[in-house]
Amino acid sequence: MNEASMIGMLSTTISFGALLYLACIGELISEKAGVLNLGVEGMMALGAVTGFLVALNTENPWLALLVAMIVTAAFASIHGIFTVVLGAEQVVSGLSLTFLGLGLSAFFGKSAVGNPPGAILSNVDWGPLSDIPWVGPILFQQSPMVYFAFLVGLLTSFLLTRTSIGLALRGAGESASTVDTAGHSVVKIRLAAVATGGALAGASGAYLTLSITTSWQDGAAAGRGWIAVALVIFGAWKPGRAAIGALLFGGLLALKTRLQTFGVDFSPILLSMIPYLLTIGVLIIISIRARHRPSASPAEIGKVYRREER
Amino acid sequence: MKRLVLVRREQSLRGGQPLSFLIGLVVALLAGILLLVASGHNPLEIYERLFNSSVGSSNAWAKTLNRAVPLGLAGLAVAVAGSMGLWNIGAEGQILAGAMMAAWIAQIGEGWASPLLIPLMLIASILGGALLASGPGIARAQIGVNEIITTLMLNEVALRLLQWLIHGPWKDPESRGFPLAPLLADEARLPKLFGRAHWGVIIAFLVIAFFGFIVSRTAWGYELKVAGSSGATARYAGISLNKKIITVMVLSGGIAGLAGGIELSGTSDRIVEGVSGGYGFAGIIVAALALMRPSGVAAVALIFGAVQVGGLSIQTLGVSSSVSTILQALILFGAIGAGVFNRYSLKSVKREKKGGST
Repeated sequence: MNEASMIGMLSTTISFGALLYLACIGELISEKAGVLNLGVEGMMALGAVTGFLVALNTENPWLALLVAMIVTAAFASIHGIFTVVLGAEQVVSGLSLTFLGLGLSAFFGKSAVGNPPGAILSNVDWGPLSDIPWVGPILFQQSPMVYFAFLVGLLTSFLLTRTSIGLALRGAGESASTVDTAGHSVVKIRLAAVATGGALAGASGAYLTLSITTSWQDGAAAGRGWIAVALVIFGAWKPGRAAIGALLFGGLLALKTRLQTFGVDFSPILLSMIPYLLTIGVLIIISIRARHRPSASPAEIGKVYRREER
Repeated sequence: MKRLVLVRREQSLRGGQPLSFLIGLVVALLAGILLLVASGHNPLEIYERLFNSSVGSSNAWAKTLNRAVPLGLAGLAVAVAGSMGLWNIGAEGQILAGAMMAAWIAQIGEGWASPLLIPLMLIASILGGALLASGPGIARAQIGVNEIITTLMLNEVALRLLQWLIHGPWKDPESRGFPLAPLLADEARLPKLFGRAHWGVIIAFLVIAFFGFIVSRTAWGYELKVAGSSGATARYAGISLNKKIITVMVLSGGIAGLAGGIELSGTSDRIVEGVSGGYGFAGIIVAALALMRPSGVAAVALIFGAVQVGGLSIQTLGVSSSVSTILQALILFGAIGAGVFNRYSLKSVKREKKGGST
């Protein structure tokens, strides 16, 4: 293992971590408001293909990112309307959203397979900072999306814990009737949370095709949406802990392709099981602890709120 | 000012669900037309091909039936858990576990006669799925761990295990580098019923009918529903909730595992990455459309089987097979949308004065 491959590994850890983190924060916001959305995998795929196609046609990566986020926010709102307004089962609606997203992205992306990118989000140049040995290439030669991701996480953490909007949002997931009594609309809060979650999953997808793979192919999301769902639990619904989890899982993804380079004789496929097994482990710990103190998971997640039925 | 609100009906509409499903199907097909026209295809030509290739001939029916088998069993697996209010999102992984176990028995039993080998393979597949589902069942019953997440995570774990097998220990030396397990011996393959349709069709039908009977006609099935609707009532009635949760999850996993064994022995003939074919996830949609009732599962699985077979056939017309995935999701959304009106009616009421919350 030499210096260059170590730096490459750590730099990839951060970029993959940010990719997972963006989608994870979106899911976290949605779940905090009481809506489980298992459509992340589909939303990521749709964001990825939208970003790539818009970049192909306009050669403007920022416009591509923006359109991807708007499209996936609207797409996530299908789930919002079906579960929050019409009272459909969140599990079923979310999985169908994944189906629909994977189907639509394969359908519209078909013509773009194999195309070179129209535009990419190039790495930020931090001037002298980028030239510092080790630190420069790892922290200061990254896609703008990396900084965006962790900024969004910081902002979400602040919003959730320090503002009245955050309080209302958490309330919608913990005790919807209380929020209702306080004069907020549970339906509006939940719809907004789901749409925001969609926009962030879309941003994560666009980041994938505009910065990481810089190409589109079927199944580009490659199960990363499910890892993002896992991360929310791994992070016990806290943006800070989720960031640590994102770097850990990102590190595992980065290590996967490098095991052989590092001369480690272990199957990269078996290595990629670890995030899921860790998540199950964390969930078991959370559940055991929940017997003695309030659970980390939002109390009313998965429940439809209807005033007349409370 | 007036606005529309949803008001709960005192009783759900009779026959509402089949009707909603039909509406969902029509909505999906109409949306499909828009999609096809927008992308420059002739929808009539494509729908004709879709129809003919899935139900237009006995050969087509054979393919549709074969597809309906794993869809129906996965749907049943979800429905059995769902009748108790549990979510088994892990049918996909349990199918893989079942297929892997069956393939393992096929390796051990090389040279055994079919009447011995095939039943053993199918039993092993049931055990494989049951084993994978038992963990989430026990964790849910004993510690209250959310089974949605554990079953979902185990899907990915089972998939990685299968990938590892076909990239390593089980890799066919003659596969020219492709990650495939060797083909099953002829003795390990389910006999054919007619055309390409295999005996799995009969097995699946019997299993679905059996569970349909158990769930709707026996005391045990009734207890499930009681336990599902209210844990407190169940405890009062002396029903052991923990035992039921574990039993139901194990049964559910076993059914999904059987789907994997049948799929391996009847259709795919070898372990490949796509042996589960997304049937586990589609099974959740199937069960939801059937309102968790086994009888409905069979009917929905047949239609989904036809849509999937049709979806593959339109690829030759230059259309992405993803159209079938899109149609399946749209059927569900259309049916849920229509289904709302089984339980609710629209009423127009006067808008509240400012100050009242919406």
